Amino acid sequence: MEGFTCNLKVFRVQKGLTQGELAELVGVRRETIMRLEKAQYNPSLKLAVDISRAVGAPIEEIFLFE
Amino acid sequence: MKTNKASHPRWLLPVLAGAACLALSLLAGWHAVTYNGGRLVYPMDSYVFQPADIPMLLSIGLDVLYVFYLAALLIGGILAQRTRAESTNRTRRLNPKLGLLGFLGFLGFAGFWSLPAFGDYTPFCFFLFFGFFGFFYEGKMSNTLMDERYRENALRAERAAYKTGLNIIFLLLLIAGQGRVPAERMAAALLIGISLALGLTLFLGEYLLYRYDHADAAGLEDGE
Repeated sequence: MEGFTCNLKVFRVQKGLTQGELAELVGVRRETIMRLEKAQYNPSLKLAVDISRAVGAPIEEIFLFE
Repeated sequence: MKTNKASHPRWLLPVLAGAACLALSLLAGWHAVTYNGGRLVYPMDSYVFQPADIPMLLSIGLDVLYVFYLAALLIGGILAQRTRAESTNRTRRLNPKLGLLGFLGFLGFAGFWSLPAFGDYTPFCFFLFFGFFGFFYEGKMSNTLMDERYRENALRAERAAYKTGLNIIFLLLLIAGQGRVPAERMAAALLIGISLALGLTLFLGEYLLYRYDHADAAGLEDGE
């Protein structure tokens, strides 16, 4: 996805979560987290906020739009 | 303390009821042919009730009730699946082998025999069953959590499928509107075309959803 960078993996690893655990925390499939980390999926605002709360990092640092 | 509750497979009752109906129908048929001149077994121009018809009438009544029972089971099963899908937020459980039902679509070719022989267009409708090949892909996505990416892909797939189906039907109507083909052939062509277009729509809805959901999956690493 052009102009979209996702730093989720960094914050997830810092928090000590696996993709599966994070997926369960935010109510999505592990495949969705995998695609998010590869910046292949543009999440909804709700999912972005849920992920931000789950990994304890500001939303604008996890998802970067140019 | 747990109690062992006696249970039987869900298919047992419908199968036993079906077997009972079949046995009663055969008995009633045998009775009608042997003792009642084959009334209600062979075609009749007009019907006037006779007490000797009672076994055959009862058997027909039971058969009709059995068909209603099967229909109620089917509708109940579909509704239960839907309720379960809504409450658990997961897709319905389906065996991919149900996709084999798509082969029923080949029955549509019987129309090319029945139309000239009896003037019957009905078998062409079976082309619609080609859409059941989509069960193969739906089965592969069985019991999947319907998260936002799944729902987004489902909407995309549905939109693309409907668009394709409607475009084909639109083209067919344009061709039919030319009026250069005899009405009988045009009716058959429209029935075939619309059945195939609807079958394709059903199939594409499931196929595209599977494809969108698994797109580039091979390129994704575990990343745990």
